[in-house]
Amino acid sequence: MDPLAVGGLVALCTVMVLFSGVSVATGLLIVATGFLFVFDGARSLVALPELLYGELNSFALLSIPMFIIMGAAISSTRAGPDLYEALERWLTKVPGGLVVSNLGACALFAAMSGSSPATCAAIGKMGIPEMRKRGYPDEVAAGSIAAGGTLGILIPPSVTMIVYGIATETSIGRLFLAGVIPGLLLVSLFIAWAIYDTWRRGAAGVALSGINYSWAQRLEVLPRVLPFIAIIVGVLYALYGGIATPSETAAVGAMLCIIVAMFIYRLYQPMALWAVLRDSTKESVMILFIIGAAGVFSFMLSSLFVTQSVAGWIADLDVNRWVLMGIINVFLLVAGFFLPPVAVILMSAPILLPIITTAGFDPIWFAVILTINMEIGLITPPVGLNLYVINGIAPDISLKKILVGSMPFVGCMVLAIIILCAFPGLATWLPDYLMGPAL
Amino acid sequence: MASSASSTPAAVRFIGYLSTISGVIASFMILASVLITCQMIFIRAVLGQSTIWQTEAVIYLMIAATMIGLAYVQKLKGHVGVDLIPTMLGATGRRVMAMFTLTVTALMMILMLYYAYDMWHFAWKRGWKSETIWAVPLWIPYLALPLGFSLFLLQLAADLWMAIRGEDIGAPVAAEDRRH
Repeated sequence: MDPLAVGGLVALCTVMVLFSGVSVATGLLIVATGFLFVFDGARSLVALPELLYGELNSFALLSIPMFIIMGAAISSTRAGPDLYEALERWLTKVPGGLVVSNLGACALFAAMSGSSPATCAAIGKMGIPEMRKRGYPDEVAAGSIAAGGTLGILIPPSVTMIVYGIATETSIGRLFLAGVIPGLLLVSLFIAWAIYDTWRRGAAGVALSGINYSWAQRLEVLPRVLPFIAIIVGVLYALYGGIATPSETAAVGAMLCIIVAMFIYRLYQPMALWAVLRDSTKESVMILFIIGAAGVFSFMLSSLFVTQSVAGWIADLDVNRWVLMGIINVFLLVAGFFLPPVAVILMSAPILLPIITTAGFDPIWFAVILTINMEIGLITPPVGLNLYVINGIAPDISLKKILVGSMPFVGCMVLAIIILCAFPGLATWLPDYLMGPAL
Repeated sequence: MASSASSTPAAVRFIGYLSTISGVIASFMILASVLITCQMIFIRAVLGQSTIWQTEAVIYLMIAATMIGLAYVQKLKGHVGVDLIPTMLGATGRRVMAMFTLTVTALMMILMLYYAYDMWHFAWKRGWKSETIWAVPLWIPYLALPLGFSLFLLQLAADLWMAIRGEDIGAPVAAEDRRH
């Protein structure tokens, strides 16, 4: 059978299997096993556990549980509300200070936790009630936090970027840096829209005026947020100073975050610590199992020549590279509507990467485009995780209002993708500047 | 909780405990890998000595934690999937879907267990060792696979049993409990 036809069949079967409700990891194993059995015979199945084991047998993967522990330790403390409070007190003179501090807190917390729903929950618990109290419309309050939370997977350190780096064998350090400027671009777009929307809904008078805080009030919040920020800066410094590999830095970061959580946030009850460890384990196991299964899946794709022939076929089509990028974006967007970011990356990276590089796109730049697409999936139905997180925090704001409030932010993200396509340097300049040009 | 626990069959409860214990073990393996990695950096960067076993040990711990943690994550409903159709169905439809997916997952894991046992058995019988200075007998890290798949299968069987008994096992997980 023609490898291209096999590829089509694989795609169809994968969609069907995944929609049946089995977990992503099991679904990938089932499809991979099925195709290997049919096209390569039962003997090829002997290699299944070895493929899974081989995929997990990597020191680089260790950065995933480590960064997850870091994020879980931070999320279990009052760091989110503290961060929010600190920004609010310091940015009060800025027009639209509250929205700015909410989204700024989202961006900073995203940098610390690496998880979008966690960012949403940590900042939203405090930010949404506060915004509503000050007269911001519900849509703006809910939408800005839902959107701000998505930054978790773009701003480093990001678990999604690590997974992309591992799946495509690109430098995790570069990927992290590539997310910084686009992250700031998104924050600015979000802020601009949130202020405009508040004004448009006629709430500008009350909502955009600031409250005055004394310097004593401003200074008292700092000791509670600076340690975490110091850890993040330290982790990123160690990473880019060439001092340690991502996994090593993440391990030290995880350790420091646990220590800070214990001593500064007084999180020393065994059950609270266990909760951090349990949540991190749950998440790490889930992701690592998907990674292992995706290893089996991509082995199947390449051993049936699907990867190679799809890339060849696309190259032969000779379409305009931007048309191609457009199609890839639509594909990612649709996949992101239904699947968690990690799963989309692991399933599509082996197919997409050769296509991307053949068409002359930079894989580091593409990681940012892909991640923003995944961010959109987090605030769009049917599985937009952040929408439901907001719904959980503020049950009296209807899901419809959250959705209406979030949709314009999807527009901001699409705009950001277009801007990044026009100016790829926004993603690639920082890594090139700090780490030297890519090879 | 108390009333539902008393009506849960002893076997299902026992499997639940087993899964929790494996989850605790997996968690401590991950914690151990954090500590070992920090120790490795200390030895290399501060004491200026070379390290032998740490990198390898940490990888084995991570693989073992993943495999042994599978059952616990299943118990916590932590394996993500596309839950679009289950959330659209009523309780009965969801239960039927859950029975189907649990059965399919269990069959896949039986297959994995079969080949994983094979792989472990070969490494054991032929005395394979890792190609490093540490030269670990490979049956030790390989053991995590058959063990993990067995524990996972038990938890799947327990969940399937509960679904057949009429529990709403496929009920959607709260969004806040999911991070990715």
